[in-house]
Amino acid sequence: MSSQTIAEKKDTDSVEIPRDIPEGWSPTILAFACHYCAFAAADLAGVMRLSYETNVKIIRLPCTGKLDHIYVMRAFERGADGVFAAG
Amino acid sequence: MSTKTPSKLEKILSAGHLAVTSECGPPRGSDMDSITKKGELIKDYVDGVNITDNQTSVTRMCSLAACIKLKLMGIEATLQMVTRDRNRIALQSDILGAAAFDIYNILCLSGDHQSFGDCPTGQNVHDLDSMQLIQTARHMRDEGKFLGGDDIKKPPQMFVGAAANPFADPFEIRVPRLAKKIAAGAEFIQTQCIYNLDKFEEWMRRVCDRGLHEKVYILAGVTPFKSAGMAKFMKNRVPGMDVPDDVVKRLSDTPKEKQADEGIKICIETIQRLKEVEGVKGFHIMAIEWEEKVPGIVKETGLYPRPEV
Amino acid sequence: MIVGTQKPMEEIWEMIKSYKKVLVFGCNTCVAVCHQGGNKEAEIMASMLNMHAAQEGVEIEIQHSGIERQCEHEFFEPAEDTIAGVDAVLSTACGIGVQFMAEKYANTPLFPGLDTCFLGAVDEHGVFSEKCQACGKCVLGETGGICPVSRCAKRILNGPCGGSTNGKCELSKDLDCAWQLIIERLTALGRMDDYEKLAELKDWSFDRAGGPRKFIREDIQV
Repeated sequence: MSSQTIAEKKDTDSVEIPRDIPEGWSPTILAFACHYCAFAAADLAGVMRLSYETNVKIIRLPCTGKLDHIYVMRAFERGADGVFAAG
Repeated sequence: MSTKTPSKLEKILSAGHLAVTSECGPPRGSDMDSITKKGELIKDYVDGVNITDNQTSVTRMCSLAACIKLKLMGIEATLQMVTRDRNRIALQSDILGAAAFDIYNILCLSGDHQSFGDCPTGQNVHDLDSMQLIQTARHMRDEGKFLGGDDIKKPPQMFVGAAANPFADPFEIRVPRLAKKIAAGAEFIQTQCIYNLDKFEEWMRRVCDRGLHEKVYILAGVTPFKSAGMAKFMKNRVPGMDVPDDVVKRLSDTPKEKQADEGIKICIETIQRLKEVEGVKGFHIMAIEWEEKVPGIVKETGLYPRPEV
Repeated sequence: MIVGTQKPMEEIWEMIKSYKKVLVFGCNTCVAVCHQGGNKEAEIMASMLNMHAAQEGVEIEIQHSGIERQCEHEFFEPAEDTIAGVDAVLSTACGIGVQFMAEKYANTPLFPGLDTCFLGAVDEHGVFSEKCQACGKCVLGETGGICPVSRCAKRILNGPCGGSTNGKCELSKDLDCAWQLIIERLTALGRMDDYEKLAELKDWSFDRAGGPRKFIREDIQV
């Protein structure tokens, strides 16, 4: 090992077990949005009465710099299928 | 230099003859036939045969057993010993074992890293390094004592050698490093295979400037190329090897079926040129799995017949 | 500091899956610096194990916690109750922390979450490299402050070996030859005369070879 760079864990270490996608299924996506830009944009979209998919849930952060690893983990733990960080 | 051991190699060198040594790798099995065949092929053409010690870290029959076999055939053997696989107890013990069979030459090496061989997951020892193995062999012989301080009953009579690589980096310390090996007690040196003659001559000049050639017998190492492919492999893949582009080109430009002959020719030319270099006291011909070519090379270079001592 | 890397999830899962209540327990000193075993990494590991358990359909409660150091008694106090309340602990400390806990909590099964790798430094952000093997007899004074025991693949004390090429080790073009560094440093310090001094046979009895080591300061014992 002395000579080796200890590589980051490989993809094969993934705990994810792939499953078949049921019909009519749509993913739950959690969006972490910065208060000053992305969240403001979403707000503006609302004001302009633009519609977007209902499976996107928005959580406002004071800044995406506040986005901690564990927020993402918790999102997945609680059933989110995807996480969208916008800022 | 007067002789200190019964070593034939030492006698030849101290009598002022150009010495010729060669090298055999032990088999990857327990059949001695290959060693005896190689020994028979070259015994009249060389003054001593090195037996490598698990070279490139590939597990083989032990050097000691093969040396004993050669000795029993009446061939002078040089026990190569690497510090990679044994601690100071085992090293001293093997030196005594070799001495018990009248093996009078030892070449002290550190050994290639085990990751190059067939047991890359193994541990390495390196309790001592090659310099310290030289010191150990000399201490056992000259003081008649073990490293632990106890007297040795009938100390080993070993002519102690070391390797030198004039081509490894950094070049500036290659001569100081040789001086260090001499200070440790090395009495003869077998060099890395020489292909870059200009660089070797530059090294030898610096060796002579410091008067080191008076303190140690330097045998120039040569290895004939079998093919252009081998030259490229040695150039690119073997650590510490310096193969100039023009040598590779000379072989590549030769038709494939004639490359082996060209390789021998290069080897002979190398020896002829190095015979004239101050401080070169002999040649170490490492014909890797090509021992049958050694007699021809020795004859062609005027080094045959070998002197009787 | 001590550098470790997280074990593969599958290996961790195999160790803990038969327990009902498992605590992933971080150590927030050395292994937090290399972002592998700190309290934050323990929390993330717990989360991953929770998800894995859910996917496997295994009922197992994975908690997480951590302290500043798992190699000293004093630091454990705030976590005593948490540790007492679980069936097993997956410690993300180095091997020292795991053993310390195993001795301290004789009835709690303890498992290592990390492979402890080496004693090293932070060369740059995200790059950690071995610098010491705790051989017990420091030679840095003779070698210009660069350690041949830990940084030479053959721990050669009178180096370099013949495999040194372009300043790199025979093992890899990415690995500096320790002796090249030593020579450069001795040259810079105007101490190349020292290079020709032979290093004596090393006394390895202060190293692991001498058996497990202990250091006692009687004057500060209580």
